[in-house]
Amino acid sequence: MIYLEVKLPDIPGSLIELIRPVSQFGGNIYGVLHHHDKKMNNMIPVDIWFELSEELTELSLENIKKVLIEKNIQLIKISVGSKNKILTFILTGHVFDTDITDTIKRLDSKKIKVLELHAKFTEVKEISSVMMKVEFPEDMTKFELIQEIEKICKEKNLFLIRS
Amino acid sequence: MCKDMEVKICLIGMGNVGTCFLQLLKEKRDDIRDNFNFNCKLVAIFEHDGALINNDGIDLDNLLEDYSNLRKNQYWKSNVKAQGNISTLDIDICIETTPTNPNTGEPALTHITEALSNNIDVISSNKAPFYLQYKRIKNLAEKMNCLVKFEATVASCVPALSIKESLIGNTISRIRAILNGTNNYILSRMTAEGVSFSVALKEAQELGYAETDPSLDINGYDSAGKLVILSNELFGWSKSIEDVKIKGITKITPHALELAKLDGYVIKHLAIAEENNLIVEPRLVKRDSPLNIQGTLNLIELRTKYAGSIILMGKGAGGFEAASAILNDLISIAKQRRDTNRNLR
Repeated sequence: MIYLEVKLPDIPGSLIELIRPVSQFGGNIYGVLHHHDKKMNNMIPVDIWFELSEELTELSLENIKKVLIEKNIQLIKISVGSKNKILTFILTGHVFDTDITDTIKRLDSKKIKVLELHAKFTEVKEISSVMMKVEFPEDMTKFELIQEIEKICKEKNLFLIRS
Repeated sequence: MCKDMEVKICLIGMGNVGTCFLQLLKEKRDDIRDNFNFNCKLVAIFEHDGALINNDGIDLDNLLEDYSNLRKNQYWKSNVKAQGNISTLDIDICIETTPTNPNTGEPALTHITEALSNNIDVISSNKAPFYLQYKRIKNLAEKMNCLVKFEATVASCVPALSIKESLIGNTISRIRAILNGTNNYILSRMTAEGVSFSVALKEAQELGYAETDPSLDINGYDSAGKLVILSNELFGWSKSIEDVKIKGITKITPHALELAKLDGYVIKHLAIAEENNLIVEPRLVKRDSPLNIQGTLNLIELRTKYAGSIILMGKGAGGFEAASAILNDLISIAKQRRDTNRNLR
């Protein structure tokens, strides 16, 4: 999901100038929010959120930005939303014997929330596997998340398979 | 290049790939002459125990009728090695297909550098020299104004390296690939049948898809070598295999595969080049992803800036598959030489 925050003049037709390039470059618009209560100097802050094809996100976003700048639309903030803040991964090894609760707590201490957990095991002492779906904070990159998980894996001798 | 132009070649290593190349050369020689306006003259074949050298050209028909004719030929000389003798030949292109040490790149590396040092263009199907000494080989080729081509080293006949020419107007931002047919076969069988890694490996060995010593495949070294070559060519990097973060497939369990299925995933052994990083490791891939290929196939997905994903897929191994890639390289070199007006010898 792409979140775009702009300022538009409070005149008829200005919203269509924002929506047209988003649509033209493949954006599937989920919502538009006018902040009339925050109007200043006849400019209204507007939030728009939309999805782009994953493969063409970079190019489409560049094109949208280019057209908006050409139209003198004031861009305040662009961010890529929570879709990229979820990761699914599998841990294989002595997952239970090395204290799965501790693993979850340590992720939680870094604000990494375990949303789902599925397990397959025969005996606690045997090699088993768990699959976790986690949500990580906005200010954490995917690379940093992986590093956190790998740190635990290295210490507990677990094998990581991620999406 | 005029109609009667000859491209003189030598072949080092007449194993499966080398033999298939000679068969293909024989089969396609009329096409090559008619469509590309040159004749290919095979001047020398080097084997581990000697060489067949005939400056008037080796009779391919006679040789391929019975391979034992190689050592019975009047021009056969025992105990003659390629090393030290490449420079004595009057040839344009050296084709290198010897069995090579994966850790040292020898003897192929020596053959390649000797040919280039003597102003001879090179075609090789050997990975190791290129994932170990890519920069050195490329620099030497440039210094000597020589061409060096190695399409067969990555995914065999799939045009993984030459696709670069077809995408010069685009920008490639990421490579994700399945570059080892053995590993993909093992994981496909584990996923489909729920069998353990060791059972799937044994099956692959019985079917001839895995070596008796499969360690280079299953530990990810083979994929890593190919990834180095692929990314160096497509991104213009100068990496070596030491730059790859490698994980094999030996720790993947049927349980892990079952869990993956629960959320619509499969596990694939991917080779990934992105943002200056090289990674070979098992990854969760959505079941409906194009990366979810079965059996021994290879696949290369290029994420491009202006056209989304471009996917190449095909057989990544086999004698004739590799031979066809070598022949492509041969024709490509001959055409390039003609276009740049550098005379062949």
